[in-house]
Amino acid sequence: MTFEPRTPREDVNVSPVHPLGEAATLVAGIALVVLPLALAVWAAVEIGVRFLPAGLEARWFADLAPDAALGGDPRREMVEALVGRLARHWEGNPYAFRAGVLPEDAPNAFALPGGVIVVTSGLLDGVGSENELAFVLGHELGHFRHRDHLRALGREAFLAVVWAALATSGVGSTLPQTVSSLAERGFSRDQERAADAFGLALLHAEYGHVAGAGGFFTRLPDAEGGVGARLSSWVATHPMSAERLDALHDTARAAVYAEEGTQTPLPATWREAAQ
Amino acid sequence: MESWIGLGIQVGIPVGLLLLAYAVGSAVEGRHYRSLRARELRSRSFPVLTLRAPPADWRIEGIELVSGSVVVSLDYFKRFLAGLRLLVGGRIASYETLLDRARREAVLRVKEDAFARGCHAVINLRLETARLNRTLGSEGGTAGVEIVAYGTALKLARRSF
Repeated sequence: MTFEPRTPREDVNVSPVHPLGEAATLVAGIALVVLPLALAVWAAVEIGVRFLPAGLEARWFADLAPDAALGGDPRREMVEALVGRLARHWEGNPYAFRAGVLPEDAPNAFALPGGVIVVTSGLLDGVGSENELAFVLGHELGHFRHRDHLRALGREAFLAVVWAALATSGVGSTLPQTVSSLAERGFSRDQERAADAFGLALLHAEYGHVAGAGGFFTRLPDAEGGVGARLSSWVATHPMSAERLDALHDTARAAVYAEEGTQTPLPATWREAAQ
Repeated sequence: MESWIGLGIQVGIPVGLLLLAYAVGSAVEGRHYRSLRARELRSRSFPVLTLRAPPADWRIEGIELVSGSVVVSLDYFKRFLAGLRLLVGGRIASYETLLDRARREAVLRVKEDAFARGCHAVINLRLETARLNRTLGSEGGTAGVEIVAYGTALKLARRSF
């Protein structure tokens, strides 16, 4: 038997593909499939929610915030009553609003599908008058008025599709999750302005003036040392810039709302409840 | 505005890391392939065969077990490419070069081991692959693979080929 030494041949086991070319093709191809799909889901939700009656909405999302989850803070009922009073000025309001208190130091407020407004205990501790709280609540009511809280669902559905694709490929872990929250932040600024305007209108309808509208935000930094950290979560979703305060003034002036007036103090039990 | 800068940073960092991993990975791969080709060429007259029994006309003076083992891991870029492949299927070309290098390196180590022991040929060569599981921070996935090549090295009375 003979053995003939030969020059080793190049391997047949390696595909002649350039890795960068393959990466580009794959990324483009997947984006081409996933993005239209995600956009279609987004559009479907966006359009769908416009035809979703509030009653049905409340029923669908009842599980999202059951009564037990609304929190045991003694101020919860007062908040709910205030929401009810403000909502009376909203003509054609289809919701039966409920309020919840989340025990958390960072001041924040959310509008949840189904007519639930959640405020943090940190926010309740920070407000100086009923009017200030009323503006925050009115702002959240504005989100319901414009159905922003449901549009957030469309965005989330969009991001869910994209993240599902990324997670399946294992690529999700290489991209920071915060990209999605950044996108959300970018989306919602105009909606925040519109909600502000609605909150202002409710404030005016309830008290006859809009004093205290921006008070919570301008006063807080003085009252609390190093408030930046505490405010961060609110700022993240509710950019309260000087620009936005100016916009509040402009709206008030344009609508001829009195910007000065006597603010209603919080109930005497408010501070005790905070303890 | 700020959020766009933030978004740019947050997308830019992973993309930058991917490109860096690609640059480093392909430089290392290129160097390894050059080394493989040179050593394969040098050792081409040393037979490594999969025959189970030696040819009848070889006069054997000694036998020995020889082995060569290579443990390889994926780089960030190859993992990314393979991740995309998970969605659409098809050849995971980024792993092909990796495993090809590992197999050829393992066989070369078998040759080098046998040569160092004064043998003249290796028969009954086998290749085996084992997956190394990730231990720390495990979310499935793999830490890498080990490729073992082993065979029977023969010491021959006179070069019979």
